[in-house]
Amino acid sequence: MSESSKSKSSLNLNPSPTLQCKNLHEYLKSRTPQFLETLYNYPTICLAVYRELPELARHFVIRLLFVEQPVPQAVVASWVSQTHAKEQSKACEALSELSVWQEAPIPGGLPGWMLAQSFKKNLKVALLGGGRPWSMSSSLEPDGKARDIAFLDAYALERWECVLHYMVGSAQTEGISADAVRILLHAGLMTRDAEDGSAVITKAGFQFLLLSTAKQVWLFLQHYLHTAEKRSLSAAECLAFLYQLSFSTLGKDYSTEGMSNNMLVFLQHLREFGLVYQRKRKAGRFYPTRLALNITCVGEGSAGPLLSSGQARGHLVLETNYRVYAYTQSSLQVALLGLFTDLLYRFPNLVVGVLTRESVRQALRGGITADQIIHYLEQHSHPQMLKSESGGIRATSVLPPTVVDQIRLWEAERNRFTYTEGVVYNQFLSQADFTALRDYARAAGVLTWQSERTRTALVTRAGHDDVKRFWKRYNKT
Amino acid sequence: MVNVMKGVLVECDPAMKQFLLHLDETLALGRKFILQDLDETHLFISSDIVETLQARVDDLMDQLSIPVHDKGL
Amino acid sequence: MGPPKKIKKYDSKPGASGKKKKIEEEITIDLVDDDNTENVGVPVAATQDAEKNDQVPEDEFGAKDYRNQMTLKPDNASRPLWVAPNGHIFLEAFSPVYKHAHDFLIAIAEPVCRPQHIHEYKLTAYSLYAAVSVGLQTGDIIEYLQRLSKCSVPAGIIEFIQLCTLSYGKVKLVLKHNRYLVESKHVEVLQKLLKDPVIQQCRLRRDGENELMSSALPNKPAGVTSKPGEEKPITNGAVPEDISQFYQQLDKDDEEDETTDITANTAVAFEVDPDKIEVIQKRCIELEHPLLAEYDFRNDSVNPDINIDLKPTAVLRPYQEKSLRKMFGNGRARSGVIVLPCGAGKSLVGVTAVCTVRKRALVLCNSGVSVEQWKQQFKCWSTADDSMICRFTSEAKDKPMGAGILITTYNMITHGQRRSWEAEQTMKWLQAQEWGLVVLDEVHTIPAKMFRRVLTIVHSHAKLGLTATLLREDDKIADLNFLIGPKLYEANWLELQAAGYIARVQCAEVWCPMTPEFYREYLIQKINKKMLLYVMNPSKFRACQFLVRYHEKRGDKTIVFSDNVFALRHYAVKMNKPYIYGPTSQSERIQILQNFKFNPKVNTIFVSKVADTSFDLPEANVLIQISSHGGSRRQEAQRLGRILRAKKGALAEEYNAFFYTLVSQDTLEMAYSRKRQRFLVNQGYSYKVITELKGMDQEPELFYGTREEQGMLLQQVLAASESECEEEREAGGAAGAGGARRGAPSLASLAGADDALYLEHRRQHNKHPLFKNDTNSENGVPEWAIVELQGLIQMKKDSTLGPTVIGDLHYFNRNKHPVLVLGHHILNGKEVKLEQPMAVMEKINNEGKIEYKVKAIVKKKLLFKSRPKPIISNVSEKV
Repeated sequence: MSESSKSKSSLNLNPSPTLQCKNLHEYLKSRTPQFLETLYNYPTICLAVYRELPELARHFVIRLLFVEQPVPQAVVASWVSQTHAKEQSKACEALSELSVWQEAPIPGGLPGWMLAQSFKKNLKVALLGGGRPWSMSSSLEPDGKARDIAFLDAYALERWECVLHYMVGSAQTEGISADAVRILLHAGLMTRDAEDGSAVITKAGFQFLLLSTAKQVWLFLQHYLHTAEKRSLSAAECLAFLYQLSFSTLGKDYSTEGMSNNMLVFLQHLREFGLVYQRKRKAGRFYPTRLALNITCVGEGSAGPLLSSGQARGHLVLETNYRVYAYTQSSLQVALLGLFTDLLYRFPNLVVGVLTRESVRQALRGGITADQIIHYLEQHSHPQMLKSESGGIRATSVLPPTVVDQIRLWEAERNRFTYTEGVVYNQFLSQADFTALRDYARAAGVLTWQSERTRTALVTRAGHDDVKRFWKRYNKT
Repeated sequence: MVNVMKGVLVECDPAMKQFLLHLDETLALGRKFILQDLDETHLFISSDIVETLQARVDDLMDQLSIPVHDKGL
Repeated sequence: MGPPKKIKKYDSKPGASGKKKKIEEEITIDLVDDDNTENVGVPVAATQDAEKNDQVPEDEFGAKDYRNQMTLKPDNASRPLWVAPNGHIFLEAFSPVYKHAHDFLIAIAEPVCRPQHIHEYKLTAYSLYAAVSVGLQTGDIIEYLQRLSKCSVPAGIIEFIQLCTLSYGKVKLVLKHNRYLVESKHVEVLQKLLKDPVIQQCRLRRDGENELMSSALPNKPAGVTSKPGEEKPITNGAVPEDISQFYQQLDKDDEEDETTDITANTAVAFEVDPDKIEVIQKRCIELEHPLLAEYDFRNDSVNPDINIDLKPTAVLRPYQEKSLRKMFGNGRARSGVIVLPCGAGKSLVGVTAVCTVRKRALVLCNSGVSVEQWKQQFKCWSTADDSMICRFTSEAKDKPMGAGILITTYNMITHGQRRSWEAEQTMKWLQAQEWGLVVLDEVHTIPAKMFRRVLTIVHSHAKLGLTATLLREDDKIADLNFLIGPKLYEANWLELQAAGYIARVQCAEVWCPMTPEFYREYLIQKINKKMLLYVMNPSKFRACQFLVRYHEKRGDKTIVFSDNVFALRHYAVKMNKPYIYGPTSQSERIQILQNFKFNPKVNTIFVSKVADTSFDLPEANVLIQISSHGGSRRQEAQRLGRILRAKKGALAEEYNAFFYTLVSQDTLEMAYSRKRQRFLVNQGYSYKVITELKGMDQEPELFYGTREEQGMLLQQVLAASESECEEEREAGGAAGAGGARRGAPSLASLAGADDALYLEHRRQHNKHPLFKNDTNSENGVPEWAIVELQGLIQMKKDSTLGPTVIGDLHYFNRNKHPVLVLGHHILNGKEVKLEQPMAVMEKINNEGKIEYKVKAIVKKKLLFKSRPKPIISNVSEKV
């Protein structure tokens, strides 16, 4: 795509992109093979990666785990019946993407597969034992001031909300480090104000706020790892430690004995964001919280409220007449609601708002999707919404279906027109000329519209130069 | 010789296409902007009109949507 | 997009964008169009608005921030209300004390919206006036509100309640032993009034007495005739004790009222000259002491009792009982308005009220059909028989003498035209009576001006207004508060639905995309044509046809509403369904309705807006709107009411009634439709938007599927005259509220003189094989009939040779009686067998061979010998 057309298309022909939250697989996929190679030196990572593989891929791994030379690809293919070729190719793709295996030629020239050495070695360790014990598993004296799960949940929530509060610019800004701010800036969730240089939230930041807590934490940590080198930390080491944490037990304390200095620094950062609890910096022990435990299951199906059921009571009531009532005193929750709701009243423990076309469109313009809004409303539904007298009317969602539909319709209304930049070719002298050009454009995948009757063809702006060159060549012959 | 024009392809439903034709014919945006009428759901228009046009379409939608709720005034 | 955004001000509505405002105005064609603009008879305090006292900072989101004005109570979780400083009250419907709070709030505040979980109410001067008039005291209101509230009640609200209630409801106008007394428990108030020179003049002194007389109050409440099934609140742990205690106390107050009041067993009063009632009422309102009208009917020995009781089979539902308890709470009849959804049994409430008062009663309704229905209701629920019930309409004039109940229309008694001698006598009699109770049906349709006229003609002790929708923002309706009385009760639609008293309705808005050709015309045509274009949109027609078929297959009974007559006729004729509109004669209406009710083959009828108020169709459970009256929320609610009557045995289904509105996408109709829905949406109804009807693509033989057919339809629409584009005008009394029409149609227009088509009478025979009757076909050859008319059909437009619709032929199988409606003329004819049958042939030139094909056979002709008559039967008065 030529640069000029790129800048042209930024005249906002298309709505702002939606914030993507990669799961572990997608995240690792986007890393370099070298980075992955380093990662696979940690048995915990190997185990985590192994667990997230498609089922068929896990079978492959186990079958190959103790094979020391390359296995012909044809042999691997023969393990699966032809009716499941699709699953098979998916599994192979996953293994290649994550550099779990590599192509290796077999004497005789056949292509073969071979598990990456470090992965093989460390997965064995993870599955069968051996190697060095995990640093944090050193034994500890019983904690005289042990903390229970409820405490840890409250702590995690409070710490994490600190970060979110900071993002929405509400008054309580104490308790967030400059380092965390840098991560938010780096992630593009916040940006420096042009005038006073203060950090202000971006569109992506707003979308971030509507994600579930688990996704927020994971996305945030991804950016943390990106910037890890700047803190002279090894991203691989940090990730490995995170995965150790994710395999730990909630409510149990772990020792800091034997942790490297780098990891102790990392631990302090995790402490700040609420992933671990430590009474004192030098306490010698720490407690992982639910936030740390959930890192690995960001993928699908983790829609449920992250924090323990008792605490994370929903606070939103959505009515069939588009009214929204929020039982909350949290300025964060109010700010979030304000993203897509027209707020009418603030009472001491209640906010009254209404979903309007304007308020929802404003959110949509900011890149928030209808699904994100609906998901947010659903996730934070007040318990009363769950026991609605419905007579069986509400099956799929606790939200009034008409309101859900309407939010989607408001979104659809914005998509009634699609604009694509392009170039029209018309007034061909002969049908043959037209057909030639059209077929060329079609084969090149740049044809967007054509009509034989009017001998008109439309190609994308990006494909124009190529088609133009073709046309010159064609005319010469 | 073949004629080549740069512009923007608009795809929309048939009724909305009529709306654009109407805007074009009545010079509602100050000038003609449709370069070629392609078919029922496609038009080819000048690139520099897109923003004005989007605003105009928004206006139309605004006119047709009355809030469903009362604010309880 | 930064955090502090939307600086849209909450109450800056007038400042909204000009364009939006304009539409808003266009569609607010309120049916109640009162030319009397002066605000007569509204006390100053009533114009108070708590909202105006509201000076509040907005937070960064543009919301009113009341956090500083409200202190949260520690036990707020068990209390159900927030009372905002601007008079808005929010109630948790899931609170354990919901029932108490709801009963209380409905008495003191106006419901704003009542969906499922949290209800909003608003304190207004009127609502507080109503509260006082049903016996609540200022102190009680404030105290109870305090107890129910999660936060402290703002000082401004307390002040507002005091301001509005202290002067209201303190003085009553009582008709006792046929003497009009102004009565009060508050001596100082009476003394204040008596200082006023106007009131002094109205006072009637007997034997020179100058002192205020004491007036004993009744000792026992009369109660409603049927035994009220008391639902005492159950006190459980979840209800804070102060709330439940106070509730019981209030409940008692409500029933026994003044008898429990230590100081109030005696009240003071002075007598008023009966001729000056109007004057004193007005003056008292000006002095901010509106007179409450109460009727001590048990002690009225002058007016004879009528012999009427409820039948034992008449069982009141809890909400009907509750509403009546508000009316008869203290043993007297209070005047006021009871608001119940359509189909929830308003007439039983009316009948019960009459049976309770047992004095001569007058029932006013807005059409001849309603008069018949009311009579039916009386016979059904009470012991009244034909001899006791007198109908007074243009069609039926029973002898009034000796009758205890007179049923008539608003128009009948208020119109100023000349009456027949017989009607004149009845009017005289009516005016001479002292009525115990006047029941005013569908009060919201009647403008205040007409009410004043009714009230000067009819002298009554008590007035009961009944309606389904009191749309609150209309000041003219607020007038009714003072002309009839306060709103005594308003039911909650959703709760009645949940309890199975009214049908569970699925409301749906079906979006029909405009075809490109129609949309193109829509964009360039004038407003009237635009309207016709969106109503006649082929996609809409197809959707309608699809839905009609779908529901016929299910065995449902469907009514299709169209306010536009052109569309009504076109849809109905094309789909071959019967239809009723203004010009349809009474007998034909009845015939169609009977068929719809009892004939299993007639499952769909098309009706115009005459059906809105004029008839009741208990058998329908599906309603389809193809065109409607602008943004009228009242009409929407009224139409929903047509299918609300609870269906028996259908509770198992999720929904047992369907309400579709078909709207053409991207047209003004969308905006109208949304506006219409607001009232119902606030009652908790939700409209499902259907952008695509499932199965419509596969449905065979829907009309207007091809471009050609659509093109022809478009031509027809474009050729339609200006007058055809308009909605049907409501003509005269039978068609609905007389005062509701916008600009009275001239007599000429009623007679059809301005129609595009008229007949000229010459002694000439003119045969038109215009109408084909495809009901009997022999061997696949359709049978046609010849229509023979006296005179000549002259088209106002240039006549074309192609098929032209000139009128409607109604053909009744029962009495073999064809009726031809041409414009606003009606012709009665008969069917005559032709001596020689004829065949209609078509000449076909088939490659040189001439062939003749039998197109149809003709065995009979429809002979219309008589002269056309103008249709005026729906004007209630035959002069």
